[in-house]
Amino acid sequence: MNWNDVLSFARGPLFQVALLVFIAGMVYRLVRVIGLGWSKDRVRPKRSEAKGVVMSFLKGIIIWPFIPWVKNTFKKNPIIYLAGGLFHLGLFVILILGTPHMLAWKSLLGIGWRTLGLPIVDWFAAVTIIAMVVLFINRLINPVLKLLTGPAEWLNLLFVFLPMVSGYIMTHHLFFRYEVLYSLHMLTVDLMLIWIPFSRISHFVFYFFSRTIHGQEFAKHGVRA
Amino acid sequence: MTVTEQALDMFVHETGGWAASQLEACTRCGMCAEACHFYQSSGNPEFAPVWKLEILRRAYEQRFTLIGKFKTAIGIEKKLTDEDLQHWSELNYYACTVCNKCAMVCPMGIDLGTLLHTVRSGLAAAGMVPEELETAVMKQVNEGSPLGMTASVWDSRLEWVADEWEVDIPRDVKGADTLVVFTSIEVMKFPTNVAAIAKILNAAGEKWTVSSIAREVVNFGFYEGDEEHEKLFMRRLFDGAKELGVKRIVVTECGHAYDALRFHAPNLLPEANDYEIIHITGVMADLVKSGRIKLQEGFFDKVGTVTLHDACKIQRRGGYIQEPRDILNILAPHAFKEMTPNMEEAICCGGGGGVIAIKAADPIRYDAFTLKIDQVNKVGANMVTMTCSNCRLQFTECVEHFNLDWKVTGLAQMVADALVE
Repeated sequence: MNWNDVLSFARGPLFQVALLVFIAGMVYRLVRVIGLGWSKDRVRPKRSEAKGVVMSFLKGIIIWPFIPWVKNTFKKNPIIYLAGGLFHLGLFVILILGTPHMLAWKSLLGIGWRTLGLPIVDWFAAVTIIAMVVLFINRLINPVLKLLTGPAEWLNLLFVFLPMVSGYIMTHHLFFRYEVLYSLHMLTVDLMLIWIPFSRISHFVFYFFSRTIHGQEFAKHGVRA
Repeated sequence: MTVTEQALDMFVHETGGWAASQLEACTRCGMCAEACHFYQSSGNPEFAPVWKLEILRRAYEQRFTLIGKFKTAIGIEKKLTDEDLQHWSELNYYACTVCNKCAMVCPMGIDLGTLLHTVRSGLAAAGMVPEELETAVMKQVNEGSPLGMTASVWDSRLEWVADEWEVDIPRDVKGADTLVVFTSIEVMKFPTNVAAIAKILNAAGEKWTVSSIAREVVNFGFYEGDEEHEKLFMRRLFDGAKELGVKRIVVTECGHAYDALRFHAPNLLPEANDYEIIHITGVMADLVKSGRIKLQEGFFDKVGTVTLHDACKIQRRGGYIQEPRDILNILAPHAFKEMTPNMEEAICCGGGGGVIAIKAADPIRYDAFTLKIDQVNKVGANMVTMTCSNCRLQFTECVEHFNLDWKVTGLAQMVADALVE
């Protein structure tokens, strides 16, 4: 078996299996949670809940560390805010605006879009990798995170770190032949996809629940979300 | 059934999609720790809100998720035990005021306060409520009040207040618009507040009354998380309201009682939505705005510096954020100074959630109050006012404990003092 075969396998059947596990797993998780039932809330809200939900998402996505009521916490824990924020920003830029990834999306969804130049995406990748290292160190030394971190949390970091680093090395053609690097990148991507439904990386789905609830609750209580 | 099974049963009962989706959303980033006054003041990582919630997370995963079942099967995670429950009982009842500041900073927006209340429900079902808190609950069940304010004590105290401050307190008036329910903290410890509120409502010409059935607004069932007790205490209020045929129920300066009655009751008792439930802060702001009472402008400017402590259940959880400020800007336009952080991101006093009723939690509670001392000293205030008698009790006690020379007061009392008659 040579590396070209590995690559075809990792890009072909294994990727399809990984994608299937990912999608089926996430659908299962979603259905399971929704199926637990939602009781009707009879409390009369003090403010418009719809507005609260919109504000909640805006606060969550755009202006988060800059709004006054999180500043206090931001000051106390800037590392996790900055590293966490930059990690997510970088991740989305790379996954959506990186040309090879756009092409992967295009082959899956059938639509393409304009992307950013490689040097720009490359900088985002570097920042993201550094942010992950910072988050890793923070998890090692922060007393609360030490308490909260078990094997699952370390594996989460590892399974996201591997495709990130292999992708970075691949675009710079370092250390190994291209087929080897590409194979490693695809293998680690497959591994991550399979891991996600079993882990808390799945928070990207439940985020929409919790932020909606946040907006509703704060509006109900008459407080800006 | 073992104690742990009882708790698990309650967790299962309380864990619908609403709670589960939020438990699933948590990334265990630990940011909520920095919002918690108990963690900040002690540095104890176990006081991180997410860790107080850990018991619910484990119960949920072990019962509902494949991963949780897998983890317990291969032994990465142990099944919950009675010892675990005891441990989390202390974390939750000693070192949490359910102030919900953590929900303000959670990047996922998880409503931690409500989930922490669910933790209490499970612990209460397992009989893991700290003894002193449980004693107070049973006192409220049997005598009608955790502070021993029985019908006859209530009667004589109100009579005394009416006499002492020469104020009319209408009792059991059928057909009144407004039912006012005081807390036993006010009646027993801050009687001036009772007189003040009576004076304000009389000055406004409000058709109000108190009820001998609905005597006590405090709800210790809410603190412990026992729904049946909570409902029992609420029902007394609605029974009183129904008997007198009032349109609205005014909660006086009591934080958790307002939270329970305004935001819990409608989901527990259908009759709750028959009434408008409003906090005295809102009533006073309305009366001032509509000109039904007049206040002497700058009445408190001469005291030095006044600051406002935001009560978690009235401001952050109750939405009365601007109202007390509007009033203070009339009473003390020059002397009123804000602490930082304030409003919905204010630091909790540390005495709420039943913490002040538990002797064993005293060191933790005093520790948490040091954050408040720093805040008040930073603005150089010599008078601190608030809209919650439980906060006021914590302040009054801590001022004595730490030997501080602040004057601690309630907003209603300030308003009553500055009334133009």
